[in-house]
Amino acid sequence: MSTGILLRHVDVPDLNRIETYERVGGYAALRKALTEMTADQVLKELEASGLRGRGGAGFSMGKKAGFLPHGDIQKYLCCNADESEPGTFKDRELMHRNPHQLIEGVLIAAYAADITNAFIYIRGEYEEEADILDAALTEAYARRYAGDDILGSGFGCSLVVHRGAGAYICGEETALLDSLEGKRGNPRLKPPFPANQGLYQGPTLINNVETLSNVPHVIANGAGWFRTFGTERSPGTKVVSVSGCVQRPGNYEIELGIPSRDIIYGLAGGPPDGRRVKAWFPGGSSAPVLTEEHLDLPYDFEHMAEAGSMLGSGAIIVVDDSVPIVSIALRLAEFYRHESCGKCVPCREGTNWTVKMLERIDRGEATPMDLDVMADVQGNIIGNCLCLLGDSMAMPVGSMIAKFRPEFEAHMEKAVLRQAAGRVGDGTESPISLTGEAA
Amino acid sequence: MSTGDWITFTIDGREVRAPEGEWLLDAAKRGDVDVPYFCYERKLGPPVGACRMCMVEVEGMPKLQTSCSTPVKDGMVVYTQTDRVKDAQNAVVEFLLVNHPLDCPVCDKGGECPLQDIAFGWGPGRSRFVEDKRNFPKPIALSPLIAIDRERCILCYRCVRFSQEVAEDDQLMFLERGDHTFVGTFDGRPYQAPFSGNVVDLCPVGALTNTAYRFRARPWDIEGAGTICTLCPSQCNVELTIRDERVERVEPRDNDAVDDGWLCDKGRWGYQSTRPDGRVLEPLVRDGGHLRPATWERALAAAAEGLAKAGAATAGIVGGQTSNEEGWLLQRILREGLGSPHVDARAGGPLAPSAARRLSHPNLAAAMPDIDRASVVLVLESNPLDEAPIFDLRLRKAVRRSGARLLVASSAPTALDGGATEVLRFAPGGAESLLRALQKALLEAERASDGGEDGSAGAPRGHAELAGLLAEHSLERLTDTAEVDLTDLRDAAALLTQAGNVVVVWGERLGWGARGSGALEALADLALVLGLDAAEGSGLIEIPASVNGRGLREAGCVAGIGPGLSDTAAGLTAAGARDAALTGDVRAFYLLHNDPLREFPGQSRWDEALRKASFVIMHEQFLGEAAVNHADVVFPAESYAEKEGTVTHPDGRLQRLRPAIGHPGEVRAEWSVLAEIAHRLGLDVRRSVTAGAVLEQLAEEAPMYAGITLDEIGGRGVRWQERPAGAAAARSAFGELGFGPAAEPPAPPSAGDGALRLSTRPGLWASWVTERSPSLRFLVSGQQVELSPLDAERLQVASGDEVQVRSNGHSVKAVVQIRDRAKRGTATLIEGTQEGNANVLADGALVVVQVERD
Repeated sequence: MSTGILLRHVDVPDLNRIETYERVGGYAALRKALTEMTADQVLKELEASGLRGRGGAGFSMGKKAGFLPHGDIQKYLCCNADESEPGTFKDRELMHRNPHQLIEGVLIAAYAADITNAFIYIRGEYEEEADILDAALTEAYARRYAGDDILGSGFGCSLVVHRGAGAYICGEETALLDSLEGKRGNPRLKPPFPANQGLYQGPTLINNVETLSNVPHVIANGAGWFRTFGTERSPGTKVVSVSGCVQRPGNYEIELGIPSRDIIYGLAGGPPDGRRVKAWFPGGSSAPVLTEEHLDLPYDFEHMAEAGSMLGSGAIIVVDDSVPIVSIALRLAEFYRHESCGKCVPCREGTNWTVKMLERIDRGEATPMDLDVMADVQGNIIGNCLCLLGDSMAMPVGSMIAKFRPEFEAHMEKAVLRQAAGRVGDGTESPISLTGEAA
Repeated sequence: MSTGDWITFTIDGREVRAPEGEWLLDAAKRGDVDVPYFCYERKLGPPVGACRMCMVEVEGMPKLQTSCSTPVKDGMVVYTQTDRVKDAQNAVVEFLLVNHPLDCPVCDKGGECPLQDIAFGWGPGRSRFVEDKRNFPKPIALSPLIAIDRERCILCYRCVRFSQEVAEDDQLMFLERGDHTFVGTFDGRPYQAPFSGNVVDLCPVGALTNTAYRFRARPWDIEGAGTICTLCPSQCNVELTIRDERVERVEPRDNDAVDDGWLCDKGRWGYQSTRPDGRVLEPLVRDGGHLRPATWERALAAAAEGLAKAGAATAGIVGGQTSNEEGWLLQRILREGLGSPHVDARAGGPLAPSAARRLSHPNLAAAMPDIDRASVVLVLESNPLDEAPIFDLRLRKAVRRSGARLLVASSAPTALDGGATEVLRFAPGGAESLLRALQKALLEAERASDGGEDGSAGAPRGHAELAGLLAEHSLERLTDTAEVDLTDLRDAAALLTQAGNVVVVWGERLGWGARGSGALEALADLALVLGLDAAEGSGLIEIPASVNGRGLREAGCVAGIGPGLSDTAAGLTAAGARDAALTGDVRAFYLLHNDPLREFPGQSRWDEALRKASFVIMHEQFLGEAAVNHADVVFPAESYAEKEGTVTHPDGRLQRLRPAIGHPGEVRAEWSVLAEIAHRLGLDVRRSVTAGAVLEQLAEEAPMYAGITLDEIGGRGVRWQERPAGAAAARSAFGELGFGPAAEPPAPPSAGDGALRLSTRPGLWASWVTERSPSLRFLVSGQQVELSPLDAERLQVASGDEVQVRSNGHSVKAVVQIRDRAKRGTATLIEGTQEGNANVLADGALVVVQVERD
């Protein structure tokens, strides 16, 4: 898209090669930062740009970098490339197509926060992207964009791509740090926050791939330019991954604040003909679901929060009226049960219990009272866990029960009838497929 | 966390004072508010916040907070009884029971189970969970000592944290994830580690159970009896679980000043050696060449008669299991009753009374908790894991939690090497040179920082002489003699120079051997050079080679040292008495809890000495070879569970042994047996009517114990250095601290080309306790020879090879263990093993050994 920032050059062939990247203006920002600006100026520019974290929490990137203590102390930067939220695949494309953009962003951010050791923690399943990053990094080192004394500026920073072993939880920043340290990837108690005590007990700046990929553009063009995109409180663009029941799934770079309908229908083509949007996740699978009535809300952090959901990772999953909501809830709960680290009680036991209840509902062995129990269990998980993983299941599942209770009840009734007719429980697969209506 | 300032906060409407930064959960207790929890455990270090049971409402914070990880602040307003908190607590209990089998009726933990208590006190009372629970095979062996029931496990992290962050054995871990998570080891290997049993105590449910205690009793069937474990010098405070006059279990009786509430596995399962099976339960007298049961009257008469006949030609050897009272009575029997000065409790040769007093001076004494606060800890010629295991945990804690720097200086590898900032591995016998080298480097650094002043102003007397002597030797020569690297030594000295509080934990073995006394003088001088006498929280702690080594020394059981470390007529050491027996100058032995054939070097000479002696008395729990072949009278010894009296902890804490069970068979209190023998030898023992009365008499003679009574010692013990009367009396009796007579450090013994020096070490499991405790028998250690990689390469042996270690016509079979940090040119064997005892080869001096493939 020609108006985009991050995806602007993605269709240039061989963009992953350093020569190509340089030809479209790559590494000019790093050169500018290192040779024309002090670290403090870079930091101020980032703060002024209003760039917010694109990993889910939406915190000001510049402020976060500014929290790191100054002085002679070993500090670290970790780029969170453990993109594991179902429905989210924007970082994958950013790394796949334009790895140098990320590398450049990491190095500029490291310079701004006076960090000399940086890591890109990439999820284990992104093998191809990790290979691409590694190759790009080799090129960057060869051209002295990384390593000691970058571009003769005296500033040096090492950068290592570290591959995870395939756990959703390692996208949680403190679990990521444990995993990077070689431990079992479990979330840590906060405080201390990573900005004070992170990797190897050192102050650590953690940012998402998309956030860091924005950094070269902010530095190259200035905070004022960046603020011409998006809204006052959410400047810049956002790469949204649209998936599910739409005709043109994919990544779209948008300016925050445009109507959600423009994304789902305008860009992604909406559901297949004859189908209607029944529910949609505005920010990855852990966001509470919204319905058709929310389609005209501006797509930004504030409006999604006001509607009771969240922008999260910016991944929109569309569910149309052909899909039973119970199967969505079950698939989701199964995912979070599988990915729960097991450290804290409400998440470990709550995800497991929820799956078992949903399976029972699906089998026709439940009553509407079980729905009350299930809703209550979701409430018992929310806010009581060590990290956000438990909430990530409980919030959407809770929202589905609240918004689609009649459908849950109808589903149960049908399943009971089917069971009575002897069509289930014979050891063959469930009559309800996860993608289509039951026969 | 805690800043030390006291603040006021409000909890459930009450104002409570607490140190700022204390965890809310602990601070709540100060206001008598009980917050339920599972995963939090102060002893395990930083909280993990995993169980979510301890959540409370804090004004100004939108979410509930885990009180185990929330530091208390001034003015904080906390609620623990609101509906929100109760809902969360109900929720967590309900979640916890989702996968818990609720098999309380057949669970060992029933009745003493935090999960039961908390489910009752803070749970919803009913569960809405109707699905299938998680299944695991149950129970299975986590190790031969511990069974694990994974269905009961609530994954609270305690055992895993213990393994990883306290014992640092890194064996227990969480496997799988989510609700499939379980506790286990890599590859399902047995969890075999010296402190493994602590996980049973830590487990808040019935998931980890002690195999030996399973199904033995319900909490209402048992009584707890507090006493001291005297199976090693750590002298941990324990509570014995008694059912029907049998010890069924040992648990820690938390005393932070002694053991931090941990136990080693030897202490936890060694209680089985108190069982009557196989023990000597009645007096035995040699009759027609065989030991036969006899009445007490006959045995006592025979003992008194035999001793009287030998008179001053009697030697008494006191084993480490002996209480202070027994030791004091025995030295009276020898010194007063028989006129013999030959009493010794040490395996390692002579100890000069002046050196003993210098090293025991209250100004140089560190307490166990000082280790926690030290900035540098020097571990000198000791491997605490083998000698006094709980010290090992305490030292790890200092490094891990308080960031102390650890300096290990020893001739053999230690379990602490890995966590040490600097390791100085010196040649066996090279300790004195090493210590002098350290002093020289320290004095040089001092001079450099003082801008050329000699720094002796205000220093204890003798400083100039020491500096003068050291000036004659180059550092290179001293480090060469000690066989340590000069740079390493300078690094170590630099570490000590920059240190705040320094605690030196040193092993009694430092003072063994031909140059032992020189090493001890050098150690005391080092303490003065470091200024440990002036610094609060700095000082020395000795790990004695035997359980009550310190108490016995202070009770007067060392050759030439009377009660209270006083000067007394010089006597023969244990080894001296042995050699005198060979020439007929010593004709009788009183072996109180000591089997020299097993415990002392020079086994064949001891065998010969005992054979030649005309009369041998022993106090034994189990008959060893020495008793069977040589004893004329054997008195049944009490186990520690039966004993009454006191022992003295390595840091000077008098601790009270209290009888937990009655005496089995004909066994009598041994202090009374000794008093009876003393009486029969004509001594006045009218005051020795109870163990407490004997202590009072000892306290009259030993100034540092002045006025101490059993009541004062109580359940927690009392350090004599911390009693004004004791410390003052000791200061006046010991005199002012000064530098010792500086002597020329010797060259350490060299074995010559191709040969190896023999060094010996204790082994944690090389003990009768292991053999006599069925649960521990799988740990009985065979003989191992530790070699450096270079020596092993030269000898063409690999780890696991069986070899013969030979010297002077004797040989011992051993399995090779190559250790990277073993000293080159040295072969180290374990003392006191049942098979292939190193004491067959060792004889207290340099022994050159040949190692040959079997």
